[in-house]
Amino acid sequence: MDKKYDAIIIGAGVIGCPIAYELAKKGYKTLTVDKLADAGEGSTAGSCAIVRAHYSTVDGVAMAYEGFKYWLDWRNYLGNVKDEKGLAKFMNTGSVLLKSKGHDWRKVKRNYDVVGVKYEEWGLDKIKMQIPVYDLHEFWPVKRPEDPSFFDDPTNLLEGAIFCPEGGYVNDPVLSAHNIMRAAETKGAEFMFKVEVTGIRSQNGKVQGITLKDGRRFDAPIVVNVAGPHSFKINQMAEGVWQGCNIKTKSLRHEVMHCPSPEGYDYLNDGYHTSDGDLGIYYRPEVGNMFLIGSEDPKCDRQEWVDPDAFYAGQGGRGRDNQLSEAQWKAQCYRLGRRVPSLQVPNQPKGVCDLYDCSDDWIPIYDKSDLGGFYMAVGTSGNQYKNAPVVGHMMAELIDTCEKGLDHDKKPLQYKLPHIGRLIDVGFFSRKREINRSSSFSVNG
Amino acid sequence: MEKVALLIEFKAGRVKKANFGMATLVRRSGKAMCAFVVNDSAAEAQAALEPYGVQQVVAIRSGGPGAAWDPARWARAIAAAMDRFGITQLVGLTTPQGRDLLPRIAAQLDAPLIMDCLEVDLDRQMVKTSRYSGKTVATIRLSGRHFIYGLRGNAVEAQKAPVAAERLSFDDTPGGDGGFEVLETRSDGGEALNLAEADVIISGGRGMKSGENFRLLFDCARLINGAAVGASRVAVDLGWVPYRMQVGQTGVKVNPKVYIACGISGSVQHFAGMKSSGMIIALNTDPNAAILAHCDYYAVADLFDVLPELKRQLTASMSSAE
Amino acid sequence: MSLFKIYVCVKHVPDSAATITVLGSDRIDANVTFLINPYDEHALTEAARIRQQHAPAEVVAVCLGPSAAENTLRSAMAMGADRSILVVTPQDHDSIFTARALKSAIAQDGEPGIILTGKEAIDTEGMQTLFRLAANFGLPAATNVVKLQLQDAAALVECEKESGAVDVIRMGLPCVVGAGKGLNTPRYPTFPEIVKSRKKEVKKIDVAALGIARPASRVEIIELKPAVENRAPRALTGSAAEIARQIAAILKEEARVI
Repeated sequence: MDKKYDAIIIGAGVIGCPIAYELAKKGYKTLTVDKLADAGEGSTAGSCAIVRAHYSTVDGVAMAYEGFKYWLDWRNYLGNVKDEKGLAKFMNTGSVLLKSKGHDWRKVKRNYDVVGVKYEEWGLDKIKMQIPVYDLHEFWPVKRPEDPSFFDDPTNLLEGAIFCPEGGYVNDPVLSAHNIMRAAETKGAEFMFKVEVTGIRSQNGKVQGITLKDGRRFDAPIVVNVAGPHSFKINQMAEGVWQGCNIKTKSLRHEVMHCPSPEGYDYLNDGYHTSDGDLGIYYRPEVGNMFLIGSEDPKCDRQEWVDPDAFYAGQGGRGRDNQLSEAQWKAQCYRLGRRVPSLQVPNQPKGVCDLYDCSDDWIPIYDKSDLGGFYMAVGTSGNQYKNAPVVGHMMAELIDTCEKGLDHDKKPLQYKLPHIGRLIDVGFFSRKREINRSSSFSVNG
Repeated sequence: MEKVALLIEFKAGRVKKANFGMATLVRRSGKAMCAFVVNDSAAEAQAALEPYGVQQVVAIRSGGPGAAWDPARWARAIAAAMDRFGITQLVGLTTPQGRDLLPRIAAQLDAPLIMDCLEVDLDRQMVKTSRYSGKTVATIRLSGRHFIYGLRGNAVEAQKAPVAAERLSFDDTPGGDGGFEVLETRSDGGEALNLAEADVIISGGRGMKSGENFRLLFDCARLINGAAVGASRVAVDLGWVPYRMQVGQTGVKVNPKVYIACGISGSVQHFAGMKSSGMIIALNTDPNAAILAHCDYYAVADLFDVLPELKRQLTASMSSAE
Repeated sequence: MSLFKIYVCVKHVPDSAATITVLGSDRIDANVTFLINPYDEHALTEAARIRQQHAPAEVVAVCLGPSAAENTLRSAMAMGADRSILVVTPQDHDSIFTARALKSAIAQDGEPGIILTGKEAIDTEGMQTLFRLAANFGLPAATNVVKLQLQDAAALVECEKESGAVDVIRMGLPCVVGAGKGLNTPRYPTFPEIVKSRKKEVKKIDVAALGIARPASRVEIIELKPAVENRAPRALTGSAAEIARQIAAILKEEARVI
C-alpha cells in the first residue's frame, strides 16, 4: 500500500535529520528514509564533528558562527527531548588557527570582524605558554614523507595564531544525528531504516515520490536529497536533476588518523582544536587521550574518487577500500610529528576511513532542482557538520518559500540567521553557480 | 604397527578434558595409540584414557634436580621416549604448556610442527589450520622423519571407544641443564578456567563500561559448566580486566562451543581469535555493530538489562535440573 | 669492554586490519599494508632498554623477507635498533628454513649477547621459529616472556602461562627470548627519532649467498582458502527477559551446554 507524505527526506545523517525536524516543526508530514540501520550511521559516523568558525567566505563564517549557538544550547534546540542513548556533547576546547601560508588567515580575520566572531590574536610566546608541546617553526610548503625534503630542518618561525574561545568538537557525531531524529519524532516526523531508494518518480516535471528496492513506493510532492556520499546517485535517479546542476558532487575517500598523545601531555583535557595549514592537517582531542588528525587535502596528496556503494560494501573488513593506508598514516602522523616532536607514532594505522560528499568547488549545494518539488542539500564536503542545525532550518525555509511560489533561481532566498541576525544569500549555494574560485578547494571551505 | 603418541596434559592431578578429543582424532586414524605422561600419574591417565581407546600409557620420568616442570628437560625426555618407542608422529594440545613444549621437541628433532591444527590427517601428514589471523584456512603438508602436531582445543569432539591399556615407563637420564633452569612456578591465584579450553565463553567489550561490570559476566559463567569469561582488546587496554582474558589476534585464540559477545563491536582482530566458535551469540545496543552480521544469534539490546535476566534464567534451569 | 650485541629478529607481516584475498590456490594478494609483527615491537622495546643498562651495547634488527621488508626494518630502527640486516628472499619460507637463515645471518654478523623476538608472528602463527633458532645456536630459549632481567651471565625471565601463572626461569647468556605482550608497552618513535633512523644502515644479503641447503624437514602450503563463514544471523527480540529466556533455551537445547 502506498503511503502519502508532505515531504520525503533521503538520508538520516546529521543534515537530513534537522531538515526533517524543521519541516515537521512547520507542519509538514515527513518521512526520512535511510539505507543503514540507524540515524547518523553513514558518513556522519566518520565525521570529525569539528565546530570552528574560520572559513574563507563571510557567509561561511556567519553560518558556522550561527551553528555554535545551536551546539552551545543543544538541549534547548532539541526541545528537551529524551533520547534513550543520551545526548551528544559539545566539547568547547577553543579553536586555534595557526597563522601560516596554508590559510588565508587575514581574510578569516576580516570575516570574523564582519560577523562579530570573538577571537584573540596569540603571539608565539602565548602559544608556547598555552600549548608547550608545539614546535612553532614554519614547515611550509606541505610535503609528503616520501619527499626527502620533508625531513629538512626548518629555519623560520610561524607568525602566531588566531584563537577562538568558541570552538571545539562534538564528542559523538552519530549520537548528535540520533538526538535530532528523536526531537523530530516528537514533531511527528517518521523515520524508516534499512531501506534503499532505487527510483525517484516524477510526472509532468513534478516529483511524485520514491520507490524502494523492496518494491514499496512512497508518495510525496517534495523529495529532499541528503544522501551524503550517495547524493550524486540519487540526483541521477531524478528526472533532469543531474543534468540541471552546473556543480556536481562525487565521493572522495578520506582518512582520519588517531595517534596517542605524547606521554605526560593530557591533550584530551588541555588541548585545543588546531587548524594547521602550515602542515596541511587539523587536529583535535579524541577519547583515549588521542590526537585525531585530519587532512586538509594538500595538493601533494593524491585524491581518490570512489564509488560509494563499492566503498561501503567493504565496511567491516570485507572489502579493501576502507582500510587506512600506511602511506597516508605516515603522512598525517609525521606532519603532526613536526608540530609535536614528542608525539610517538605507532606502526599500525588507527583511525577512520570514510567518504566526503564533495562538490566541484568544495562548497555545498543547498538548493531546489530542475525537477519541481525536488531539493538537495549535498556536497557537504566534510566541513558542514557544524552547520547541520543551521542548514536544517535554512533548507526548511527554502522548501517552504519555494513551495509557496518563490522562484529561487531568479530571485534567490535571502535567509536570515535567527541567532546572529545576518542575512545569507542562499543563491550562493546554487547548483547553477559557476565554480567558486575564491573557495579554498579543501575541507576548509 | 605404526604408533602415534599423544602428549597428555594434566591439571591439578587430573587429565584435562581436551585430551579426549585428541585421543578420538588418533583412534579414528586406525593407528595404535600411546599416551605420554610426564612426571604425573600414569594410573590416573590410564583410567581416564582407556574409555577413549588409548592402548598404552607411557609414564615418562624426567628426573634431575630442580622443579618437576621444566619444559626444556621435558622436551628432551619426550624426544628420547619417541626414539625409544619408535614414534614418528606426536600429537599435543595448543595450550600454554603445548606452546612451550611442542616447539622445543620439534626444534630438537628438526621436525616439522604445525600448531593450532583444526584437522590432522595422520596417514598423509596433512593438516588444516588457520593462517592470517583466521581469515584463511591452509592445508599444509609436512615432510621429514618426525611429525609434530598441536591440536586446537575442542577441534575434535571426544567419542568413547573403551579398551584396556597397558602401562609402560621410561626414565630419562638427566644430562646437563643446557643453561635453562626453572626456579619456580608462581600463580597469582587466578583459578579461572583456561579460555582456550572452555566450552562456553562469555566475553565483554567496550559496552561493559567498567571492570566492575564484568561481575555480570562472571555471575552467568558460574552457572554454566565449563564456562569462562573473556574480553575484547578495548576492555583490556582500558585496564578493566587483565590481559590474559583477552580474546583476539593478539590475545587468546578460542574455540568454544558457544561464544557470547556482550558489548563487543567485533573488530577483525577480535574475530581472528573467536571466529571458529561453534556458535556465536551477540548482545549489542548498536544495530550496526559488525558482530551482528557474523554471528548465529543476536539481540539489539542492552546487556545491563539482559544479563541479570539471563542469570535468573540460568539459576532457574539449574534448580529445575536438580 | 667488548660490545654487547643484542639481536632482534623481526617479521614483515600483513597488517592485522588488512583484508586478505587469496590468489590462485596457495598465496595471498600481497598488495596490502605490511607492518612489523606486533610482538616484535615488544622485543625491540626491551632490546632498547637492555642496551641502556648494558653499555656498551648495540641492537641489530634481523629480518628474512622480500625487499619491501626494508620498511619493517626502518620501523625497527626508528624504534631503537642501531642497524639492521635484511636477508632478501623472493618467497615465503617455513620456520625450519627461516631459523637457519636467521642463524646464519646473525652468526656472520657477530656474536650474540642475547637474541630477542616476538613470541609468534601474527600471519603464520607458528610459535616455533625462536626455539629452532635457539636449537641451531645450541642456546636456551623461553617464550611468552613478560619480565626480563639481565644478571652477570644469565637472564632471569618470567614466562606467562595460563590463568595468571608464571614460570620463573634462569637462562645462561646468550639465550633466546620470545617476547609476550605483557613484557612492556611498545615505545614508538618520535619524529626526531624517525629522522635519525633514516641515516641508519640496512645491510642486504641475498638469501642464496647464505648457502643454506634445502632442509629435509619442511612444511608446505598445499592450498589456501578464504575462511568461509556459514552463519546466518537470526535476531532475538522482545523484552530483556524474553531475550534472556531465548538465550537460555538455545544454550540448553541447541548448543547443549547446560
